[in-house]
Amino acid sequence: MPSQSDIDEIDVKIIRALQKDARTNFADIAKMSEVSIDTISKRFRRMRKAGIARGTTVLLNPKSFGYDCVASFGIRVNYPHVEEVVDFIRKIPEVVFCTQAMGRHNIFAIAVLKNVGRLGQVKEVIKGHPMVRDVSASIWVDEILLCPENFELNHLMRK
Amino acid sequence: MRRLDDIDLAIIKRLTQSARTSFRKIAQELSISPDTVINRYAGLQEKGVIRGSTIIINPKKLGYQAMAVFLIDTAPPHIVATESTPADSSLILDKLIKMRNIIVATKTVGDHDLLAIGVALDFEHLTQIRNDIVKIPGVQDLQVSFWAEMMELCPKYFIV
Repeated sequence: MPSQSDIDEIDVKIIRALQKDARTNFADIAKMSEVSIDTISKRFRRMRKAGIARGTTVLLNPKSFGYDCVASFGIRVNYPHVEEVVDFIRKIPEVVFCTQAMGRHNIFAIAVLKNVGRLGQVKEVIKGHPMVRDVSASIWVDEILLCPENFELNHLMRK
Repeated sequence: MRRLDDIDLAIIKRLTQSARTSFRKIAQELSISPDTVINRYAGLQEKGVIRGSTIIINPKKLGYQAMAVFLIDTAPPHIVATESTPADSSLILDKLIKMRNIIVATKTVGDHDLLAIGVALDFEHLTQIRNDIVKIPGVQDLQVSFWAEMMELCPKYFIV
């Protein structure tokens, strides 16, 4: 099975191009990398097989779908019930991400919600779990900046 | 804004599963013309419904061991801002998103003023990212939570 050390400059070019626009023509990437289109599509397939790339997707604006509020939660819970609370929070339909964490919080979660009113309700639901000690919520405002291309990939290149 | 209709939603659904699906194939699946798909896609981009497309990579396979959220409190601008180093939170945000390995950054209302999510190769790297954020003028306080479980980069609403 290919490991990270198998990634070379061509793979990095493919990742870079597709991070900016997943619909980039393989022909353009091929030209940029001075290899054949066939090589690019083979490399892409190989990265998918190896689980390096899980696929491609479009980035949507939640507001266009009636979700006006993106918020994150930092949660502290009574040990040793972290896993139980993570499972509980993941069942809330608006929660798009929830993980155990270390540092300031025991759990970090992100939710996409219809409005601030619903945020209040979800916060109460989380707080209502008997093992939760406290919940702090932050509403993400203005434009949320996403830069998947900030990923540093240089350490992967075979020299 | 005009509501999204069933065709828009069907196109979006198909592209969230795979952004590289050819418009011809989507047209076949939906029994509409490829031109309709092309026009709808352009329209959805124009209206900002679709903000872009990206590859979903698994950070673990690229050597990343952890992700972290940085919760940032900013100093009131009148205290730290000088003519040469203004400390407006928009400027801090702008610096954050230009940092390597920061993949999400936003202003927040609530517990803190700004939030950034980053990916780290190891603990040393994480510490370094934290130190770089602290150095941004106007950053007063910083709290960090980190985790080893990787979220898929770019679940459909973001983001990351």
